[in-house]
Amino acid sequence: MMTNRKNRQRFERLMLGHLDGAYNLALWLVRDPAEAEDIVQTAYMRAFEHFHTFTGGNAAGWIMTIVRNTAYNWLSKQKRSSNLISFDEVLHSSEQHSQSLSRRMNPEEIVSINASSSNLMQQMERLPVEFREALFLREIEGYSYKEIAEITQVPKGTVMSRLSRAREQLQSLLLEQQKRKQDHVL
Amino acid sequence: MSCDETRENIEAYLDGELTLSDRRDFEDHLGDCPDCQAALENMRQLSSSIKKIAYTSRPAGLRRNIRNGLRDLSGEESAGFGWPQLLGFGGASAALASVAVWGVMSFMLSSPMQLSLTDELISAHVRAMMVDHMTDVTSSDRHTVKPWFNGKLDFSPRVVDLKDRGYPLIGGRLEYLNKRPVAALVYKRRAHIINLFIQRSDKPAQTSPAQLIQQRGYQLVNWQIQGMNYTLISDLNPQELQEFAVLVQK
Repeated sequence: MMTNRKNRQRFERLMLGHLDGAYNLALWLVRDPAEAEDIVQTAYMRAFEHFHTFTGGNAAGWIMTIVRNTAYNWLSKQKRSSNLISFDEVLHSSEQHSQSLSRRMNPEEIVSINASSSNLMQQMERLPVEFREALFLREIEGYSYKEIAEITQVPKGTVMSRLSRAREQLQSLLLEQQKRKQDHVL
Repeated sequence: MSCDETRENIEAYLDGELTLSDRRDFEDHLGDCPDCQAALENMRQLSSSIKKIAYTSRPAGLRRNIRNGLRDLSGEESAGFGWPQLLGFGGASAALASVAVWGVMSFMLSSPMQLSLTDELISAHVRAMMVDHMTDVTSSDRHTVKPWFNGKLDFSPRVVDLKDRGYPLIGGRLEYLNKRPVAALVYKRRAHIINLFIQRSDKPAQTSPAQLIQQRGYQLVNWQIQGMNYTLISDLNPQELQEFAVLVQK
């Protein structure tokens, strides 16, 4: 039988290495460093309490799932207590009307997007949380569609459409911003 | 592959999600089509600038705090709960006593009976969190929460509202511990739930200053005022929980 100590050490060995990814996921989702820290701490404690349900395999995916669930829990409580219509919902309702960007744009309209990381992050904050999450897991963490589907507990098709809309919206936001700057110069 | 199909597959191509044969068709079309090449390049640029966003470094104490929490949770026989931990906290809290109205800290080793009570209180706290049943009466208004306990307890609990201090009241519920009814008031600090358990003490008229206990990854603050026993339980950090204890006692 595994002693409590051995069990704890096994948990640390498997899960503590993913702390940076876990913290950054939480930060991308809630956008507040203090809250992200709380969320990761809570998630790790919760994960440890349910460690017996971890059957081996993808430890990173397992801990990320718990972190994002903890973050969403927090977000939904925030929403309930604030009673505000978030920008996320506004974007959600309008997104059906927009066409795929790459098809809509003429080649001559395609301008190179030269965005700094901080500027990009700023625009990213205007995306719905599910879109940011998909982008983080795909572009930063390099997960496959299937893995993202497992972590976010939605079908693979939903992951694909979230990613696609996320990129499209981000691109529109960046282009708009670029245009505003150009108009300003002229 | 047509232009439309190619455009639709740009992301799957860049994400490495196309099958080998789709990939080949995609690249075949791309070779003859400057428009699709431009669209691909456009998407590639966006994708690579996102990839360049660096990790934000995690807060300094996070790893250590998690490891401490894990050790408390794991109930390890040798390192667990005992004198050193209590004494260690005594030192840390003594510094705090000077800034807060905190009274003299008494860090007596709890009697077995007290230990089993704290254990029961922690279990009640954890149970409520797990089944997500924090409150029987959900209200941030103390004038709603306090009367709710009428007729359910043989005392009337003091309910204070500390929303303006960052500890909003969430509600209350009834617990039975040691076959006795206990008032549980629920407060919040950011994402942390704080349970305040109030019950009649065995010794009427007893008053004892607050003491901080750390057990199973939770912080407890316990004090008695005139025969009433108060215990705070939370996974909140000890500093803020002590601050809260001071506010509640005011």
